[in-house]
Amino acid sequence: MSKTKHIFAVLILSLLGITLLVSLSKLPNQFEYANSIYHHVVNNSITETGSLNFVTAILYDYRAYDSLGESTIIFGAVSGIVLLLSRKTLPVSSHGLSFIVKRTFGMLTPFIFLFGIYIITHGHLSPGGGFQGGVILGAISIIFSIVYGSEFDYKRYSPTTKTLLETSGALLFIGLGFMGILLGGNFLMNLNILNAEVGSLLSAGSIPFINIGIGFKIGAGLAIIFYSMIQKTFKEEVDL
Amino acid sequence: MINNFVFVVLFLLGFYAILVKKNLIKMVIGLNIMEGSIFFWFITLTDRGKMIPIVNGTQVASQLNDPVPQALILTGIVIGASTSAFLLTLIIELDKFTSSTNPDQIGGMIED
Amino acid sequence: MNITLILLIIVPLVTAFLIPFVDVFSNKARKILVAFSTLLEFSIGIFVIISNYSSITNNSFFLKYYLGNWIPPIGITLSMDMLSLFFSTLISFSLLFIVIYSIGFIGHHEGKYYVLLFLIWAAMHGIVLTGDIFNLDVFLELMLITSAPLVAFKRDRNGTEAAIKYMFYGTIGGLFVFIGVVLVYFNLGTLNFADIAQNFNSLNIFSKKLISVFFLLGIFIKMGVFPFHFWLSKAHSACPSSISALLSGVIVKVYIYVFIRLFWNVFGYNILQQTGLNKIIFVVALISTVMGHIMALNENDVKRMLAYSTIANLGMIIAVLVINTKLALLAGLLHVLSHLLMKVSLFTTTGYILQFTPGHKLEDLKGVAYKNVLIFTGFTIVAGGMIGLPPMIGFASKWYILKAFIKSGYNWGSVITIGGSIFAFVYYIRYIISGFKKLSLGPPERFRLILSVFYRERVVTDIAFIFVIAVIVVGVFYKVALGPLEGAINVIQNPSLYIEGILGG
Repeated sequence: MSKTKHIFAVLILSLLGITLLVSLSKLPNQFEYANSIYHHVVNNSITETGSLNFVTAILYDYRAYDSLGESTIIFGAVSGIVLLLSRKTLPVSSHGLSFIVKRTFGMLTPFIFLFGIYIITHGHLSPGGGFQGGVILGAISIIFSIVYGSEFDYKRYSPTTKTLLETSGALLFIGLGFMGILLGGNFLMNLNILNAEVGSLLSAGSIPFINIGIGFKIGAGLAIIFYSMIQKTFKEEVDL
Repeated sequence: MINNFVFVVLFLLGFYAILVKKNLIKMVIGLNIMEGSIFFWFITLTDRGKMIPIVNGTQVASQLNDPVPQALILTGIVIGASTSAFLLTLIIELDKFTSSTNPDQIGGMIED
Repeated sequence: MNITLILLIIVPLVTAFLIPFVDVFSNKARKILVAFSTLLEFSIGIFVIISNYSSITNNSFFLKYYLGNWIPPIGITLSMDMLSLFFSTLISFSLLFIVIYSIGFIGHHEGKYYVLLFLIWAAMHGIVLTGDIFNLDVFLELMLITSAPLVAFKRDRNGTEAAIKYMFYGTIGGLFVFIGVVLVYFNLGTLNFADIAQNFNSLNIFSKKLISVFFLLGIFIKMGVFPFHFWLSKAHSACPSSISALLSGVIVKVYIYVFIRLFWNVFGYNILQQTGLNKIIFVVALISTVMGHIMALNENDVKRMLAYSTIANLGMIIAVLVINTKLALLAGLLHVLSHLLMKVSLFTTTGYILQFTPGHKLEDLKGVAYKNVLIFTGFTIVAGGMIGLPPMIGFASKWYILKAFIKSGYNWGSVITIGGSIFAFVYYIRYIISGFKKLSLGPPERFRLILSVFYRERVVTDIAFIFVIAVIVVGVFYKVALGPLEGAINVIQNPSLYIEGILGG
């Protein structure tokens, strides 16, 4: 029964694959389009946004609205996960790993935090930015839960704190967008607040601030996701 | 050419996992493979064989690759990550009710 | 530059971000915030209509907003023309009452519920107002991922299964849309709707076909048209009734908006005609109608029956739209309005009724009419509208659909429309008869409340009545709606208006 199903699926998929391949091979090869976004961004990005990293310039300036939508998606996923996995009882946790691991990570964690902050604040100068740095910040909470036990994580860095961090990050982003309206421009306009020489840390207008907002939001959001999931497994461990 | 081939093969592998596998978590992995194949394809399609679009003063604009697909893919990756996180949560929830992750118990994907 | 456009999206978004923030401090403040933002958002929608009344009446209505001061081909543009205004008004109107209905209906996890509801609201307005193809994809995914937790909101096995299916289908649909975006960017180097529309004809026929096929696949999977309908009945019936009304009534219509906007304004209807895709869509949509009616007839669960009826009506709307005559487009848009009103009122009344039954099955509904005769009469009236009886709005829209099918010579379509009405008569009358059946040994305990149920019963019944009255009133005065609809059709049929509106000046 299942074997015929397998063969059937493989047949259908290979037919689909051949059709797709034939179709895609007929696509034009050259893609030199005059007057496209590419030419505009590559030629004018530095003067218009002050960001050396063009990907950041697109993410947080040209198409900042997309990033707003994207961070809202994370927020929606976090809300959904908390809604489904929420429970009233306090998490019952393991006591974490051994003394050596605890000490080592005790020394490492500040540096991981610093690295995350570095990635976030240098988003407009080098590869990185709010999303990437935020993931590193989120990892700290995971280290707390695994190495020290989730009870420690709960006390140091409670879900309420995480929620507050997450929403304030998002509100910082939207607030910066509204500042654009107040200063006579449009929503999500690049503000002229950090206008040091291009290439220095305090440049690129409001892009570093948006990076910070997004970084904390993503970090807190991922920590909440991890926390909600691990809470559940620990509960089951106790049930056994 | 080779990028189209890799894209189609990866995409269909992911699709195969969704159609055939008997484990919801493997189906989520299949979904992620499909996503990854599209990202790979997008990057290779718009690759101009030039430098990364981050300058430090010496590069000229005409030497840079297209940064737009990279930004779009970053957005896509985040969307994919949240989708998988939420799907996995749902699978944890389902596991609570049925103690298994077999898609047949929810009537498979093509039955209502 | 019109700031109201961005406010329509940002107000629900900020509310969603503020709710967890406020919730930490006080529950009462959150309730006030929800009520305040709902009214604020609705009044912004009203304000747009009032402040532009003269341009709406003479068909020159067009608003746009450049996000971040970037002019069109580079940044993201928001725009609102008559078509967007029509859908935006529908969304604001129905969401206002659905939120108020939820205040009486939902009693647990209210904080997260309203966060997700407001995010869906923001996503729907984002889709309707956006002028950028990748932004459209982002907001489609946002709408998917915020509506899926609400499908699983009851946290029972059924809801979880439904949500898993919904997520799988929705994500695969989203991937197809993303492939379409990749192809558009690869071929044209732009993401702006108007810019794409301007240059789309210069592509070779093959690229055009590929792009249309991927977008069609993505939208149809997300919409739940016939070969991809497997998730719909489950997802639309496993959630609380307020969410069923939202999914079945409103979200489905947003996908129809995307379909119209992409295939009439952005890619142009010509591409469907050149490649023969319009015939395929027509046939698939009609099969979807027939299948929906047959499965609804087969179904013994009242909410699943309503969900299958959604599949049927969806097919009818798409079939009549792809005929692409003026009358057909008018019929399609009128049926969007009428199906939205009728489905939302059916689900709101059913949600009330089902609180007094042991289950959702046909036999569980026995005698339920005597619990609240007025609400059940409302259900009966709206069911009459779904069948196509005057004076309900359903009669007007079905009449127009029938006229459109006959005038353009698609006799199969008219046969299926009339046959569908007969089918609908059979499957609605079963539930109505069952509801009015006297119970032979009717112990009053039969009507025990299953959940802790209503928090404010008056609110629930009042909203249900508002929708039932709206179905009748709009049905009597539907001619008033024809004026704005003709403006919308003017936009649909003239893509150049849209291109000029965004790119010119």
